[in-house]
Amino acid sequence: MTQDSSALFTLDRVTVRRGAALLLDEVTCRIPAAACTAVTGPSGTGKTTLLRLLNRLDEPDSGLVCLHGQPLPGFDVLALRHQIALVGQAPVLLTGRVLDELRTGAPDLDRDQAAALLGQVSLPAAMLTRSTTGLSGGEAQRLCLARDLAAGPEVLLLDEPTSALDPASAQAVEQVARSFIAAGGSIVIVSHDAAQTSRIVDQVLTLHAGKLTAERARPVASLREGS
Amino acid sequence: MNPAVPTWAGVAASLALVALAVAVAARQRLHLAREITIAAARAGAQLTAVGAVLLLVFTHGGLVGAFGWLTIMVLIAGQVAARRARGLPRALPVATGAIAAGTAATVGTLLALGVISPQPRVVIPVGGMVVSGAMAAAAVTLTRLHDEAAAARPAIEARLCLGMPADRAFAPHLHAALRTALIPAIDSTKTVGLISLPGAMTGLILAGVSPLTAIRYQIVVMYMLLAAAALAALTAARLAGRALFDDAHRLRPLPARTDEKRRAAPVRLPARRGAGTR
Repeated sequence: MTQDSSALFTLDRVTVRRGAALLLDEVTCRIPAAACTAVTGPSGTGKTTLLRLLNRLDEPDSGLVCLHGQPLPGFDVLALRHQIALVGQAPVLLTGRVLDELRTGAPDLDRDQAAALLGQVSLPAAMLTRSTTGLSGGEAQRLCLARDLAAGPEVLLLDEPTSALDPASAQAVEQVARSFIAAGGSIVIVSHDAAQTSRIVDQVLTLHAGKLTAERARPVASLREGS
Repeated sequence: MNPAVPTWAGVAASLALVALAVAVAARQRLHLAREITIAAARAGAQLTAVGAVLLLVFTHGGLVGAFGWLTIMVLIAGQVAARRARGLPRALPVATGAIAAGTAATVGTLLALGVISPQPRVVIPVGGMVVSGAMAAAAVTLTRLHDEAAAARPAIEARLCLGMPADRAFAPHLHAALRTALIPAIDSTKTVGLISLPGAMTGLILAGVSPLTAIRYQIVVMYMLLAAAALAALTAARLAGRALFDDAHRLRPLPARTDEKRRAAPVRLPARRGAGTR
């Protein structure tokens, strides 16, 4: 596979092993920029592993992952993670107060910016002074998303971000995803939700037992119209 | 001869106490009589051998021999501490390095300030206490660091995903491990003399030294143990913190500790006699 600088990410025969288990088996694919790509497939097929490769939280045993045509190890890893945010399936809060939580990724954030971020994820600005311990699962997940957005990433990696959320929270997360793409950002999302995939996704990669079994792409323009 | 020190006949007579322990074990059917006998024999043989080697070092080894002895103690202590945290990457060099740093800094300071005399008969026992304190602190630090890193992986990776370097992402967990490791040394410093008479002071009193003189030594011992624990724990935490992450600021996979695996193994209950029959 030739290196493709027009794509956001390219994976070239990427293999990941954990002991005897083969998590990804020679996966080759292209993830476009300024679009939303879904990674689907049954549980345990390497979807999360693929996501973690994209911000170097995991490393392939063989093969190459490139960003804008450049191999990922060539980038400064800390700058890369500022640029490529990963939101996990279960919310992980790191501080005791909502405002402090938002400042974890952006220490210079002022109160107005913090309130605007909460607004982006459909949380009230009055929540800024609240403790993080009493938040519901949906609120915590949206706060994690806002915390990651605070650092101003260009790419969002979302690992089943709505699987444990109530419909209102899930809708709020989808709205953030749509706005993020509209503003020129790129998203790679692991999702089991076919309806969600059809609503916000431009390309679908399907994994089965670590192998890429399908790569469906639709013209981005038609999707924008549909959404 | 110091009348406070038992003669060899006295040592032989104290075997009666071993016999008493064996009798208790046998009467209670604890199946420990053989182990008690072996433990007592080992203690006697080991201490006799150590006493003979120490005599040799005191007489002919000089300071070089004393530091050689201390080095061997550090290497053994490193192995013991590393065994406690076997799942941790590079546990042996980390533990040995931490104990060596704690010991070298503490004993070095005591010698440099002239607090202890540069003689083998002083350096070896004082160094032994320092190594022992450093080993305990390093072992607790490494065990706690391993557990913290394994349990808090989601939080650590969430910080890494925000672009934090590994040392910042791990800092809260490193501080928690350090606090846990230092609490025993702080508590024993607080309660010294109230709960039991400490070893160095007891030894000096038995050797006929005035209690008011003996406490001077004990105060130095307590302070040096605090320093040794703090330095060993800090060095262990810093070295282990680096070993836990790779160059790309990724938390390495952590296998379960050996003692954890043993605990997690399924418990097999012995078959009850007559089970299934009424």
